[in-house]
Amino acid sequence: MPHYQSWEEFSRAAEKLYLTDPMKVRVVLKYRHCDGNLSMKVTDDAVCLQYKTDQAQDVKKIEKLQGKLMRFMVSKETHSMTMETD
Amino acid sequence: MVLLENDSFLTELTRLFQKCRTTGTVYITLKKYDGRTKPVPRKGNPETFEPVDNKCLIRATDGKKKISTVVSTKEVIKFQMAYSNLLRAHMDGLKKKDKKSKSKKTKATQTVEKPSVHLSPVANTPSVGWALHVAAGTSSVDTRGLEVAKGLFQQDTLHTGRARIFI
Repeated sequence: MPHYQSWEEFSRAAEKLYLTDPMKVRVVLKYRHCDGNLSMKVTDDAVCLQYKTDQAQDVKKIEKLQGKLMRFMVSKETHSMTMETD
Repeated sequence: MVLLENDSFLTELTRLFQKCRTTGTVYITLKKYDGRTKPVPRKGNPETFEPVDNKCLIRATDGKKKISTVVSTKEVIKFQMAYSNLLRAHMDGLKKKDKKSKSKKTKATQTVEKPSVHLSPVANTPSVGWALHVAAGTSSVDTRGLEVAKGLFQQDTLHTGRARIFI
């Protein structure tokens, strides 16, 4: 259940996990305004990847990754799907 | 669990964020959805169900109230834009990193002080000499760094910042 310190690593691991089994993977976002922190979890119920932050600059990164995964989910799945690199 | 249309979901999600500003958490879950409306049968009749490939399920809760919506390929562009704006607008309680950008700015604006150089004749020397006064703020400038003709340059005591040039 690794907690990632680096956004780059988390982002790559999350995409990789999703592509191994799209139907099993879920993405959870947890936001606490009163504590000022945000956490993102990507799991397939066997492996769990997490990233926590309290930095405003990470909001954009998290929101972009969510959008990317959302688009993967609604697109017609093909094995030769190319991953965009930010 | 309330299943809503995309627009109503976004409105309700805004309300959730506003409600949880002083206390509480907002949980958002994203998952690929194959369109099934019936639970998976344990055994018996084989599934006559055709899974679709182009939908995803979005759920949100504050621990008490639950809302959800289904997004398909046709709606995803519009939904994703509105969703991103919503997140960015509401997740503003986090720390901003100004320290780094501030220190970068001050470094860039620092300019090297130009040393002032004064050349004046010195009368109380056996031979006609010139005193080269160099001042650069609080620091003394090494006279060797100046572009003066070689051989004709003679240093005085460096800490006074004076140098004598014999012409």
